[in-house]
Amino acid sequence: MTQPDGITLSGVSKTFTGRGKVVEALRDVTLSCPAGSFTSIIGPSGCGKSTVMRIALGLETANSGAVRIAGEAPLDAAKDGVTGVAFQDAALLPWRSVKRNVEVPLEVLGRKPARERDQVQAMIELVGLSGYENSLPGELSGGMRQRVAIARALVTHPQVLFMDEPFGALDQILRRQMNVELQRIWADTGSTALLVTHGIDEAVFLSDRVVVMHADPGRIVDIVDVPFDRPRDPSLFSDLVFHEVCDNIAEVLHGG
Amino acid sequence: MAGEGAGRHAGLRNAVILLLVWELVGQLGIVAGGALPPPSDILIRLWQDRADYPRHIGATLWASALGFVIGNVVAIAGGILFAMSPLMLRLFRGINIAAFALPPIAIAPILALTLSGMAPRITLAALGVYFVTMTATVIGISQADSRAQDVIRAYGGTRWKVLRLVQLRSAVPSILAGLRVAAPNAVLGAILAEFGGGGRWGLGTYLLGSLGRAEPDRLWGIGLVATVIAGLSYAGFAVLSHRMLGATKAVTLNTAVPAGQPRPGHVAERIAVALVAITLPFTIWWALIRLSGAPAMIAKTPVDVFTYLFLSPASSTAQAKLLAALGQTLPITFAGMAAGLGFAFLLAIGTKLSPRATQAFMPIALVTQTMPLVALTPLLVLILGRGTSLTLWITISVTFFPAFVTLAQGISLVPRSAEELPRVYGGSRWQELRLVTIPASLPYLFAATRLTVPRALLGVMIAEWLATGRGIGNLLNQSRGYLDYGMIWSVAAVSVILSVVFFQIVVVVERRVLARLGMTTSE
Repeated sequence: MTQPDGITLSGVSKTFTGRGKVVEALRDVTLSCPAGSFTSIIGPSGCGKSTVMRIALGLETANSGAVRIAGEAPLDAAKDGVTGVAFQDAALLPWRSVKRNVEVPLEVLGRKPARERDQVQAMIELVGLSGYENSLPGELSGGMRQRVAIARALVTHPQVLFMDEPFGALDQILRRQMNVELQRIWADTGSTALLVTHGIDEAVFLSDRVVVMHADPGRIVDIVDVPFDRPRDPSLFSDLVFHEVCDNIAEVLHGG
Repeated sequence: MAGEGAGRHAGLRNAVILLLVWELVGQLGIVAGGALPPPSDILIRLWQDRADYPRHIGATLWASALGFVIGNVVAIAGGILFAMSPLMLRLFRGINIAAFALPPIAIAPILALTLSGMAPRITLAALGVYFVTMTATVIGISQADSRAQDVIRAYGGTRWKVLRLVQLRSAVPSILAGLRVAAPNAVLGAILAEFGGGGRWGLGTYLLGSLGRAEPDRLWGIGLVATVIAGLSYAGFAVLSHRMLGATKAVTLNTAVPAGQPRPGHVAERIAVALVAITLPFTIWWALIRLSGAPAMIAKTPVDVFTYLFLSPASSTAQAKLLAALGQTLPITFAGMAAGLGFAFLLAIGTKLSPRATQAFMPIALVTQTMPLVALTPLLVLILGRGTSLTLWITISVTFFPAFVTLAQGISLVPRSAEELPRVYGGSRWQELRLVTIPASLPYLFAATRLTVPRALLGVMIAEWLATGRGIGNLLNQSRGYLDYGMIWSVAAVSVILSVVFFQIVVVVERRVLARLGMTTSE
């Protein structure tokens, strides 16, 4: 099933060559995220989950297979401002203030940040950082920097939102807080989201579907549907059914 | 911080003690029959000579500043080009190594022959800064946070956008550090060019003119002024980078592994690139001579030099002279380098054992590093005489300090957790050194060796030129007197080529050893 405005990968394979060795990073990865859905990819280190995202973003090219982002090739989608992206450890520019960091995607796309001042301000408010517009990243806590990265990812009103372990560097308590906030923000924007993560509970809490990958070669072994209604309450983290779903995924993950 | 304040205090105290001892020794005339005058005499002489200084200082400063600007503009432009295009980096490798490794004193006479007026000084000052700033630019650009670059690319940003938004700005600290090191180099280059030829004004000219007279206090005064100028230029950029970089340090450690350089596919292509890299310096040399329109009698192309050394009737005499000179120069270069490096390595390792001693020592090391070599040589001549020990000491002193700074900084980069591992298991300080510090400092030992190869040769050649009357430094100076243009160009070419070859040998050994140990090269 192809959705014109979601994310589709069909039969994507990728090999890396290093020092004479050929590593099969991805084998025949097929994945379709309908518009407006939230999908997580989970898997052990080296299973190629980040490579899936980098190919979907156009940062790497696949050896074979096709990728469509909102019906376009990845780089065309990027240039049309369809995509938003947040990486692990925020990846902010340390010499730019919060506001100027959020403006970066607008600058890259050749828009005038001055004309979209309201949008930039709205995003900073959405992630709860009003009053910190002129702070430098070095003056913020880890959680606040991550929120800046989320605001930056959302500033272009993306139809498709990519996140590669955006909360990987945060502690468990802060992470749960950010999960709850991300759900709220995502619901407000109505975008198609793809999240790469190490955390099973984070994936289950946020997603409609969880994609489980294995390494050597990197491949999809299962796609688990998450049954809970939205909006989801933080109390879900201690729900019994929630834990059952998490356990099922853990079983698949560890080779069950 | 309290510790820092105490360190500065100790440094000041040591400096005062040193000055007092110097004054006492000078007053008593203990060293070499008054060759080491007391500071008070030097200051008095400086005051008496005060009318001479402004024009000499002005001439040197003007040439250094102009060379500094020109060299850095070329270096930053080149650095950007090389960072963007690995192929260009490979093609220009020969040029870049030559620019780094060439002993400035070897080409000073050539520049004096082919250029006129201030041009030789400016060129040598520019050459002195080019490599440092170019490398700093390349490193700064290629070490920019790869995740931040990914963000720009993920929005469809072009390479130019990545460069403009992320890489250039994050290269600024590295470039400023480069400028800081380059600034004294410009002064050194200008002074060396003044040695090499002509001109009435300039500290180098003044120094050379005063060398013949037995006036140690004036020589010391000139050396002091040159050192202060070089030191101030260094300090100026240190302050500037401190001001500019206050709150903009990288927030997190970059953990993403940058994509490896695409290895050239065909052997044929690699050989072609290497051939171009080797021949490019000679081609440019040839082209410059042709374009300059200098008379063929004076300006020699690579072909002329080859003819002079191998084909002309007098070639066997020329070869014999050159080989004899090399036989004097090379052994002492290697001995001095080995001693300087070894001493630096031991002391840098020692800093781990007693950080306090280092704190007191570091200021002296930094002062000596900014002290122009040429200013140092006449002073050492006065103290040590004109024998072989002079050459050896100069070589040791010019290799020791940069090597020490490189090693000490490298060792301070060893992660604390790695260092503490042996200690956690009750290991001794020595085990900590053996298991962690020494292996971890190996890449920096190689980096220091690469750094010191050309400096050692330069040190020996300066000593030979000014004082000992032996080796290729002397041959160069003598040939100037005999107007033996073929020999001047030959000595310059041979010393540059040797320097490049030694450098390349170090690089190859370094790659082999570090690859076997699973380490990467340190810049």
